[in-house]
Amino acid sequence: MPDHFMRKTILGELEELVLLVVAACNEDVYGIPVMEELQQQTGRDFTISAVHTTLYRLEEKGFLSSSVGGATAERGGRRKRLFALTAAGGEVLLEIQQTRTRLWQSIPQAKLELMGLSANPF
Amino acid sequence: MKKSTNPLPDQPPRWADQLLEWFVAPHLLEYIQGDLHENFHKRVAKVGIARARREYLWAVFHCLTPFFTKRQTVKSSYSNQPSTVMLSNYLTIAFRNLWRQKAFTAINIVGLSVGLASCLLIVLYVLHELSYDSYHAHADRIYRMTMHARMDNKDINLAYSSGPAGQALLRDSPGVEAVTRLRKEGAFLVKHGQDIIKEEKIAFVDSNFFSVFTIPIVKGNPKTALVEPNTLILTKTIAHKYFGTQDPIGQSLSLGNLGLFRVTGVCEDVPSNTHFHYDMFGSFESVKTGNKWLASGAYTYVRLREGHSLAQVETISRGFVSKYIAPEIKEFFGMEFTEFQKKGNRFGFQFQPITDIHLHSDLDDELEANSDAKYVYIFSAIAFFILLLACINFTNLSTAGSASRSKEVGIRKVLGSVRTQLVSQFLTESVLLTFFALVLALVLVFLLLPSFNVLSGKQFTVSDLVNGRLLMGAVVCSLVIGLLAGSYPAFVLASFKPITVLKGKLQIGGRSGWLRNALVTTQFVVSIGMIVATIVANRQIQFMQNKKVGFDREQVLVLHDTHVLGTKAEAFKVELAKLSSVVKVASAGFLPAGHTSQSVDGIQFRDGTRTGNHRTKGYYIDEDYLLTLGIDLAQGRNFSKAFSTENSSVLLNEAAVRTYGFKNPIGQQISTVGDGSEGSKHTYTVVGVVKDFHFESMHQHIAPLVIFYGKDNDQLALRIQTNDIPRLLQKIEQQWKATTDNPFAYSFLNERFSKMYQSEQHISQLFAVFAGLAVLIACLGLFGLAAFTTHQRTKEIGVRKVLGSSVTGIVTLLLTDYLKLILVATLIASPIAGYTMSQWLRDFAYRIDLPWWAFALAGVLATVVAALTVSYLAIKAALVNPVKSLKAE
Repeated sequence: MPDHFMRKTILGELEELVLLVVAACNEDVYGIPVMEELQQQTGRDFTISAVHTTLYRLEEKGFLSSSVGGATAERGGRRKRLFALTAAGGEVLLEIQQTRTRLWQSIPQAKLELMGLSANPF
Repeated sequence: MKKSTNPLPDQPPRWADQLLEWFVAPHLLEYIQGDLHENFHKRVAKVGIARARREYLWAVFHCLTPFFTKRQTVKSSYSNQPSTVMLSNYLTIAFRNLWRQKAFTAINIVGLSVGLASCLLIVLYVLHELSYDSYHAHADRIYRMTMHARMDNKDINLAYSSGPAGQALLRDSPGVEAVTRLRKEGAFLVKHGQDIIKEEKIAFVDSNFFSVFTIPIVKGNPKTALVEPNTLILTKTIAHKYFGTQDPIGQSLSLGNLGLFRVTGVCEDVPSNTHFHYDMFGSFESVKTGNKWLASGAYTYVRLREGHSLAQVETISRGFVSKYIAPEIKEFFGMEFTEFQKKGNRFGFQFQPITDIHLHSDLDDELEANSDAKYVYIFSAIAFFILLLACINFTNLSTAGSASRSKEVGIRKVLGSVRTQLVSQFLTESVLLTFFALVLALVLVFLLLPSFNVLSGKQFTVSDLVNGRLLMGAVVCSLVIGLLAGSYPAFVLASFKPITVLKGKLQIGGRSGWLRNALVTTQFVVSIGMIVATIVANRQIQFMQNKKVGFDREQVLVLHDTHVLGTKAEAFKVELAKLSSVVKVASAGFLPAGHTSQSVDGIQFRDGTRTGNHRTKGYYIDEDYLLTLGIDLAQGRNFSKAFSTENSSVLLNEAAVRTYGFKNPIGQQISTVGDGSEGSKHTYTVVGVVKDFHFESMHQHIAPLVIFYGKDNDQLALRIQTNDIPRLLQKIEQQWKATTDNPFAYSFLNERFSKMYQSEQHISQLFAVFAGLAVLIACLGLFGLAAFTTHQRTKEIGVRKVLGSSVTGIVTLLLTDYLKLILVATLIASPIAGYTMSQWLRDFAYRIDLPWWAFALAGVLATVVAALTVSYLAIKAALVNPVKSLKAE
C-alpha cells in the first residue's frame, strides 16, 4: 500500500482546493455547497460536473469517503452523495501545508520586503 | 399526474434532462442530476427562469465527458482465475449442451458443413482458375503478341502473330528482353520402333522457350537442347511412356512427315494451370515458317525488361504495319496500302498479359479453349451465397434454440454470471460448432473430390486441399463465421433479464421474429433463384440438343485420320461400302461437329448488275456426303460423278443465297478471290442449294456456306444401320489393320455433337447441384425455425384443440405462416433470376424464350419441399393430446 499511497499524494490545484473545502465544511458536504464555497473563496466559476469529477477522483485516491444522504423536493427526490475527509486526506493536507511552510521559510525575508510584500504569513 | 404532462414553468428543460439521463452512467446519475436540479432552483430565484434554463443546459453539456459516460464495470469475482480454467469450463458446458440437443446440433452442423464444403470446392476451383500462368518467373512482364485485322468488313482476331513479328520487335524495341515463339502443326503419328501412336500435343518452340516459361528442364542442356533442327524435348510422363526407365536423351522418334527427331531434353510436365498443355516440344527450326508477314504465323511471347512500359512496345509495334506489312499488301492484294486502308481494311498488333489469357482471351485459333472470367464470377457469387445461407441458418437456429435456454441464462445471472461470461459461453459454443462443421466439411470435400473433378473438368487432389494457405483460410474463416453467426444469439441471450425469464416469459419471440422471417425469406430467394437458373439452363441445353440441326446425327460413324491411307483410301472405302450394315461412305474432312477442316474464301458474286464481296466459309465434299449426313437439298442437284464439270460447280446453303441476294440461285456464277492475283481466281456455277444446317455451334447464327466439290480424306463418315455396333467396329478395325499399321480411331457424330455443349452442360449440372444444396440448407433453416415456433405455440394449439379445432385446421394454420414467406421469396427471386438468365441466354443465337412456368415451378417446388419439412412438425404438434400441452408448466 505505501507505494499506492505515495503515488496518489500528488494533487492538482483544484483537487487541493476541493479537499480543503471539504475539510473546512461542517454541514453536509456534497456538490452544491462545495461549488458555492469554491466560488466564494476564489471568485472563479466552477461547473458542477468539474466539482463532481474532482470529488469522485479524491474518493478514488482514498482522501475522501462518501455516503448517500437525504433527498429534497427541489432535487426532485434525488438523494445526495455526501463526502467526508478521511485520515489519509487529513495527512495529505498536512503534508502539503508543511512543504509549503518549509519553502516559505527558505525565502529570504529581505527579498520579500524589497518587493514590497509583507512578512511571512505563518 | 397533470404535472408531468404539463411541466411547471420553473423546471429545467425536459430534453436536456433526457439527454443527461441517456449518457450519464446510472451509478452517477442520481447525484449529479440532483445537484443540477438544486442549483437550477437556486439560480431561478437569483437570475430568473430563462437564464437558469440556459445555465442548466450549459451545465448538462459540461457533463458530456468520458468520466460521466463511462459505465461502471462489474468486477467479477472469478476474473482473477486463470483464463484457461474458464475456457475449459466453457468447453465442457458447450459440449454438454450440444450433446443434449442432439437434433438441433446435427441440423446446425450438417447445414453449415454442407455450406462450407461447397464453398471450399468452389474456392479450390476459383483459385485454380485465377492462378493460370502466374507461376512463371516474371509472369507480370510476359505478354502474348496477337494480330488483329479487318478485311472485307470482317474482323479477324488471331491469337498468334506474323512469324517475323517477334524477331522484329526484339530488334526494334529496346524494352523487349526476350521473344519466344511457338507453332502448332496439329497431330502427328509418332513412330517408335514398331509402334505408331497418334500424338496431339506437339509444339515447335524457340530454343529460349524454357527460359521465358518456367517449366524446369530435368535432363539435358536447357540452353542448347532446341537449337538444332529435329531436336525434341519430352515431358517426364511422355518420356516414360516411350522409353520407360531407359535414358531418353539421344534416343530418336519419328514424327509423321517431319522425319527423325533426336531427344535432347526432358522437362517437367506442363502444370495444369497453364494456357497450353504440350507433351513434346520440337525445335522451331524443324518446321518451315515463312518470312512473309502475311503468310506466316507463330504464337509470339515477349518478356519486357524490368521498368519498361508496355506502351512503348505497343507504339513500336504500330510502326510495323507501314514498315513491314505495307509492301506485302501490294504483293498479295495487288493494291497500294493507302487504297487498302481506304476500303476500311487495317492491321494491328496487341499485347495480352499471359496471366489474362486463360480467363479473358477469346481469339481465333487459341492454343486451347480458354475459360471465361464470367464463370469465375458466377461461381464466386454462388460460393458466397451458399456460405451466406449457411451462416443465416446457423444464426437462425442458434437464436431459435436459445429460447429453451432462457431459464439457464436467468439462473446463471442470479448466481452472479456477468454479461461477458455469458457471451463467451455462447460464442464458445458456436465456434465449437463451426469447427465440428469444418471437420465434417473437409471429410465431405474429400469424398466429393472425384465427382467434383468430373463436373469441373479439373484434377484436384487431396494435397491441393491441405496445402497450407487454403486450410489456414478455412480455419480462420470458420472462426470468423462462428463469431459472427454466434454473436447475435449470444448478445440476445446475454441481455435477458433474469426476473422475466425466470417467471417463464420468453422475451425472444416478437422482437426478433421479423428478423428470422427475413432471414428465411432470403434463403428461399436464393434457393428459388437457383432453381429457376437450373431449369432455364437445362431447357436451353435440351433445346440445343433436340433442335433440328439440318442433318441426321444418329448412326453416323466417323473414322479419324484416314489421310494416312493415301492412295489406298478409295479401295478401303469400297471395302467398307460392301459391309452389310454400312449404308453410305463419304470423305468427310469437314464435319459440323467436333474436329473439322476449316476453309474461308473471299467470294465475289454477281446478281444482274449488282456485285459484291463476302468472306464465306467453305466445305469440300464428295458426291456421297450429303446422303451420308442426311442433309437435304432445297433446290437444284447434288454433285455427281456423271458430270465432268463438277470442279467448277458449287452448292450454296440457304443463308448464302440470302446473303448474296440471289432470287434464282441455280445457274448463278460466283468466284473465289484467292490471294488477289488473277491466276488464283476461279469461277464456279451454282448447281444446287442445300437446306440450312448447323455447321457451327448454336451460339452463332447459321452463316453462309459455299460447298465445293472435292475430296478431303482427313476423315471418313459412314452412315450405318445396325444394332450390333461393337461387331461392326470390329469388322472395320480388321479392315483397317489389313490396310495400314497406323492406329485406328473413331467417333460417333451424335457424341461429337453433344460434346460441343459440354461446358454448358457442366454449368447446368453445377447449377443443379448447388441449387439442391441451397434448398437443403434453406430447409434445414426452416425446420429449425418451425420447431421453435411450434414449441412456442404449444399452449395455443392445446387451447384450439380444446375449443374444437381439427388436426387439419391446426396444420393449415401452422403451414400458412411459412407459405407466405415462400410466396414473398418467389416474388422477389423471379425478377432477379429472370433478368440474370435472359442475360445468359443472350450468348446463344438460337435460344428458348424464358419459360414463365419455370418461376411457377420453382415456387411450387420450394413450397412443396418447405411444406414437407414443416408439416412433420406441424402434424406432430397438432396430434399432441391437449391435456398434456396445457398441463405443462
